[in-house]
Formats: sequence, C-alpha cells, structure tokens
Amino acid sequence: MSSSGQGPDFASGFMDDYFAEADEHLVAIRRSLLVLEASLGADLPAPILDDLFRSFHSLKGLSAMVDLREAEVVAHQMESCLRAVRQGDVVLTGANFETLVDGAKLLEAVIVAHRMGQPRPPVGRTLEQLETLARPAAKPAADREGGPASSPATPPVRPGEDERVWKVIFVPSPQLVERGIKVDTIRTRLLQIGHLLKVEPKVVAGGGISFEFHLQTAHGEQLGAWSDDGVSCELLAAVPPPEPPEARARPAAPDSAARAPRPVDLATAGPTNFVRVDLGRLDDLMRLVGDMVVTRARLDDSLQRLERHVPFQEWRALQEHNTGLERQLRDLREGVMRVRLVPVGEIFRRMPFVVRDLARDSGRRVQLDLVGQNTEIDKFLIERMMDPILHLVRNAITHAIEKPDERAAAGKPPEGTIRLGASTAGESVVIEVSDDGRGIDAQAVAARARAGGAPIPEGPIDQGALLDIICAPGFSTRDEVDRGSGRGVGMAVVRATVEELGGALAVESEAGRGTTFRITLPLTLAITDAIITHVGRHTFAVPQSAVREVVEVDPGVLRSIEQNELMTYRGATLPMVRLSDLFGIRVDPRPRLHAIVIGDGLAAIGLLVDRISGQREIVVKTITDPLIRVDGVSGATELGDGRLILILDVSALSRTLRDRRPVDSRVSA
Amino acid sequence: MSEQPSAAAAATETYILFAVAGTTYALRSHQVLHMEMIEQVTPVPNAPRFVEGVVFSRGQVVPVVNLRARFGFDRAPLDLRTRLLVVQNDGRRIGLLADEAREFLTIPDSAIQPPHQAIGGLSGNYLDGVATLGDRIVLILNVREVLETSPTAAA
Repeated sequence: MSSSGQGPDFASGFMDDYFAEADEHLVAIRRSLLVLEASLGADLPAPILDDLFRSFHSLKGLSAMVDLREAEVVAHQMESCLRAVRQGDVVLTGANFETLVDGAKLLEAVIVAHRMGQPRPPVGRTLEQLETLARPAAKPAADREGGPASSPATPPVRPGEDERVWKVIFVPSPQLVERGIKVDTIRTRLLQIGHLLKVEPKVVAGGGISFEFHLQTAHGEQLGAWSDDGVSCELLAAVPPPEPPEARARPAAPDSAARAPRPVDLATAGPTNFVRVDLGRLDDLMRLVGDMVVTRARLDDSLQRLERHVPFQEWRALQEHNTGLERQLRDLREGVMRVRLVPVGEIFRRMPFVVRDLARDSGRRVQLDLVGQNTEIDKFLIERMMDPILHLVRNAITHAIEKPDERAAAGKPPEGTIRLGASTAGESVVIEVSDDGRGIDAQAVAARARAGGAPIPEGPIDQGALLDIICAPGFSTRDEVDRGSGRGVGMAVVRATVEELGGALAVESEAGRGTTFRITLPLTLAITDAIITHVGRHTFAVPQSAVREVVEVDPGVLRSIEQNELMTYRGATLPMVRLSDLFGIRVDPRPRLHAIVIGDGLAAIGLLVDRISGQREIVVKTITDPLIRVDGVSGATELGDGRLILILDVSALSRTLRDRRPVDSRVSA
Repeated sequence: MSEQPSAAAAATETYILFAVAGTTYALRSHQVLHMEMIEQVTPVPNAPRFVEGVVFSRGQVVPVVNLRARFGFDRAPLDLRTRLLVVQNDGRRIGLLADEAREFLTIPDSAIQPPHQAIGGLSGNYLDGVATLGDRIVLILNVREVLETSPTAAA
C-alpha cells in the first residue's frame, strides 16, 4: 500500500502519522538498547530483545507503507540481527553491540532526513556491518537447563517468528512397529521440523507407554499429517517449559513476562490508556474555552443590568446559575490546560544517549540519575526547554565532571554523577541539573570577567552575581568552540529562554564539591492568539477571541453625530472609537484606517487603529502594579525582540465605552 | 549618634550611587535587584506622568519611573549612560530611570543626617537622609516614597 495516488493533504497527514509513530518506536529502541548495554556479558533479558525485535519489525512495516526504502531496509537488517541474537546464534559483545547502536542511529537519521527534506545518509556500510552481525558465525549452544524431564533434549532455543510449542503424543503400537514407525522415527521427524524441548515417557492406562514430546516449530501443520502414525498433537498454550529466571527482566506486563519460549506477539502490546492528541486541536479547544469565558463575562454584564428589572427571587436564581457557570468554566479551563501538560520525562529520556556519547568522547565516566520524570509541564515549555537543558547537561560533562584520575586524586568516586530532577513547588515546576564535579570558583570567574573588562567590584561574589557573570553575553568559556556544548547555545541564551517563559534561573556551586543549576518555571502559561495593531508609535495586542471582524475603513465615510463617530456596517450603524483619542496618543492623519469590531449586535463597537501587522501567539503577562494599571490595558507581552507591547482589555474597554455613550446614538441606518 | 565603645566596625551600609539631573543620589544596595541599560520603554497611556512606561526585565513586566520627571525636572532622551535600577519594595518590582550610574559605596551611618525641611524642590519629599562625604553630598532615597502614588504625589 503506497501513499501515492491520494491528494496531497492525505499524504502529508499520513506522513505526520508515520513520523509520530516512528518516533515512538525510535524512543523505545533507544531505551531498550541502553538496558541491553547494561546486560552485555551476562544473560540478555528476553523481554528487551523481544521489544527491540518488535520495534524494528514495526518500523520495517511502517516504512514500507510510506515507501521509505532506506528505512525499510535498515529496519529489516536490524530485525535480522535481533532475531539472531534472540535465537542465541549471535553473542552480543561490546564491539558488535556498537554495530547495533550504529544501526539504530542510522535508522533514526534516515527518518529525520526524510522529515526535513534533506538528502538521506548513506546506508551501505552500516548495512554491511549489520549483515555480518546477523549471519550466525558459530552456534554457541547457550546451554540452559532442559527442565525436569528425564530424557535428553536439545537445548531450548529462542523461538523464531511464527514458532509455536506443541505437545506431541506418540502412542506406539505393534501395527506401527510393523510399518517401521517407532518412537525414534517420530523423534527424527520432529527434529527435522523444529526443536525438541522435552521428551517424557508416560504410562498409559492398561500398562502401555506413550511418549510426550514438547516441540517448538514453525511447521505445526505437518503434525496433522502424521495422525495415522500414532501421532496426536495439541498446541501448548499455558504450560511453560522450565526456563532459568531472567536476570534483570523488567517487571513487565503480564504477557511479556519470562514465559519463553513462546511465540512473539507481533501485534502492538494492547491498547493503553492514552490518546495521542494533535496540538492544533488542543489549541482550538483552548480557544473555545477562551471564547466561553468572554461570553460568560458578557452574560455577567447583562445580568447586572437586569437586576433592577427582575424580582429578587428570580434574579437570585439567575445569579446562582451564573456563579455556578463561572466556577465550572474555570474548572474546564484548568482541565484543558492540564491536557497540555506532558511529563518532563520527554526531555529527560533523550539525555542518557547524550551523556553516554559525550562522556565517552571526552574521556569521562558519568552516571546519569533521573528523578521526577513524571512531573508535568506545559507542552509549549517542553519544546522550548529542550535546548537549554541539553546545554546545561553538556556543560556539566565537559566542564564540571573531572576525568577519573583527577576525581580519584580528589577522593571522589571515578564515576561522576549528574542528576537531572524535576518537581513541582506550588505554582511552579523546578528542574535541576546537578553534578558532583569541580564546582565553580566564583573568584576565578570574577577575575576572568574583570580581565575582560566587566565592571565587577572586588569582594565576595554571591550566587546571584555569579550567575550574572556567567550568563553575560560575551563571557566566553573555552567550550564555545568545542563540539560538546556547541551550536551556539550559550548560558546567556539559556537564561534568556528561561526568563522569556516567565521562569528564573539560579545557580548554587561549591568549589570542589559540585554545581546545581535550578530552573523554575510557571506551571501554567497563559497563551493566546492576538492581532497586533498600531496606533501612532504605539503597538497593542488585541486578543483574537474578542475580535468579531477586522474591517478596512476610509476615514471619509465616518459620520459624526454629536460626540460620536459612526460607520455603516452590515446594514447597521457601528459606533467607532479611536484608540488614539482613548489613550491620548498623537497620530498623523492617514488615508486608511482599520476597525477592529468587538462585541455583537447592538453592543458592537469598532476600535480604530492605524494599521494591523498580523496575528501571533503571545504569552500573556498580567500587569498588576498600581502604577501601570490603567483602564483598557490588561497585560503585556514580549514580541520576541525584547520589545514589550500592551494587551488591550477588550471587555473592559467596551464596558467603559458603552457606559459613556448615550443610548440613542445606537441608531439603525 | 551614640558611639559604641571599641566598636569592631562603625555601623555602615553599602549603597549604589547614581545621578539624576546633576545630583548624586544613593539607594541601599540590598534594595536594588539589578541594573541594566535599556533601549526603549513601552509607554502606558493614561498612566501617571512620571511613569515612563513598562519594560521587560528578567522575564517580568516592570514599570519604569522616570526619576527626572518624579523630581520635577524636564525629561531627557535616553542615551548610552542611562540606567534602569530595578528595585524591590513591598513585593513590588519597579524600575527607576537614572541619567547615569555611579559607584558602589560604603557609607557610615555617622555621615548621614536627616533631610532638612528646608531642602527645596520636590525631591525633598523622597529622601531618607543626606550624606556628607568630604566635599561630596549624596542624597539617600526612600524607595517607598518614590513609588507612592497617592493623589497628592501625582505630578
């Protein structure tokens, strides 16, 4: 099945699904490979091998469906390698394990390249290595207990694809002997189509003997052909042949527990309690909730106006319902925002690979501890925090953690520890990157900064000042050029990113003992879509949810009646308010203006602005200080270039304007 | 000021000094969170006259008080020497716009006298004291008074 021949939208949606699913498998593969690495040289945990096999098998199928040949081929080779390992044909050592890792990385690289529209990396060489790996060189019959059965059996081997375990019962009889069919005959036949796990003679009623074989084969259908030869068979479902306890098997789901040999379940491991959600839909949902909040505020206003016209009892009931609605709406809003929360483990899960590579490349030994991976933060934050956290972890390895001999000389264990932890504290999430490395020598750092011309007073440097120094743009550390912390993400950018998200960065360090960087982030983010408008030299953001329409206006068509300007709009008269008047902003006359229509029906108003420069997603920062609390402004947002613009409080504006306006100016044309 | 017998150190405090319209002022350093250069301030329409607007500093929206305007002087354009001193008071974080930052200085309490009623000009209302250091005079600001927005203070 190919994705060609369908419309472009279908194809791209299809590809999105492919990438999403592929990503899940790649993550699982990475994780499994790490566990496998820890078991090299000892018993390899079967569930892990099965998971890896399953993942590659799935990737192979998926890639074939979207015609991604290179990925399909690499996945196929990886699958073969895994099969060989599972069957015991190949023993994994440090060297050939690296080949597996290379294969996994190559697979990921191919998929990523396809996603980015970049040329795909050459696969030939790695494919060759994988092929060599998959070919069983010698069969090192991994001897395992044959179980309590009396007869000798060949050592049980990891089940291949489609293999099943059958219980085969042969009842000898004189007639069969006459035909030359004895137990050995049957045994030979069975050995030809599979592996014998167990052979047990049984005494049957009447004094006869029967033989029970446990056969592992992919060719169970042949057994049926021998029913005339005294052979009956039955698929063994529940009885597990004895098997040595799996070292380090994950305390896994019941169906993947060490009940090997068993057929590998190639279907995905059952339905889980999660749904993958398109972020766009989530944003739509949040927008709807935002709209509901605005509508309810208007309901509130109407109710207030209604109060004196309605008998008290009725009004009280209305008010109660309104309050109930407000409460439920707030809960709904929080609920939807919580759906945007994802476990911070999404960032953490990539770290072991980064740490492993970088530690190896820089000659350090590093252990990575991950704590609090289930701590949740907003999806928006996850994406923005990936690079900063990566940078801090890389810094820890290349700067903080000393080489093993240096550590030993300092009385520390040769393996350094980096701890990545996340936790919630009230309304914030705290992410910490700690190490037990050499710490930051504040005085030395200050001296270096002073030498570079920074005006730092002599004397003790506290942790806040220390952070300022190392985050100052232009404070160069030698690693800006080396590969480890490269890509231009310096400490200045780390702090800027954290603060842009409304968070804070702090550092605690003790020379010789270690360093901890602490990132505090707000738990929920107010993000909303806004239209960016300009009035004179000022820029304002108008929340999209409040805007009914944007209309271009020729100032010439505005009519003045008493103090008000009006415009014909959709067959009715729309009162217009110039923001320049409202805010006392000096503007030059322009041939064209824009009206932002807010409110509905008789309550509609047009806000006149000079021009509109587009629409964007903004992070809302509320304005609380009394010095800057003015009517019509609800908050501010940073446009990304450091400039702050004000956010209009549309409902407050329309309330003020409506109260100001005499009723009879709302005249239908 | 009572003298402590054999005081290990005379009572002193560290201050940050800065200039506004030619006069040197000081703030207790623990009240100042940080100093920065700023390029532009977003004006807030209909805010008090001495409020220059708001800026984005360290991830927060910070109101900016133009000290020249606050003390009754004419405004001056922002230049490379203009500094924003971000202070904290009562849980509020406010930026004070100064012409120029001077130095950190430790001033002994003994050098400070309460402001005279006779000190003319609006800035007299915002002072905690006047420090005399040799032939130099430094006016010590009371942050709360500077930020006070009661009707009488609105200039």
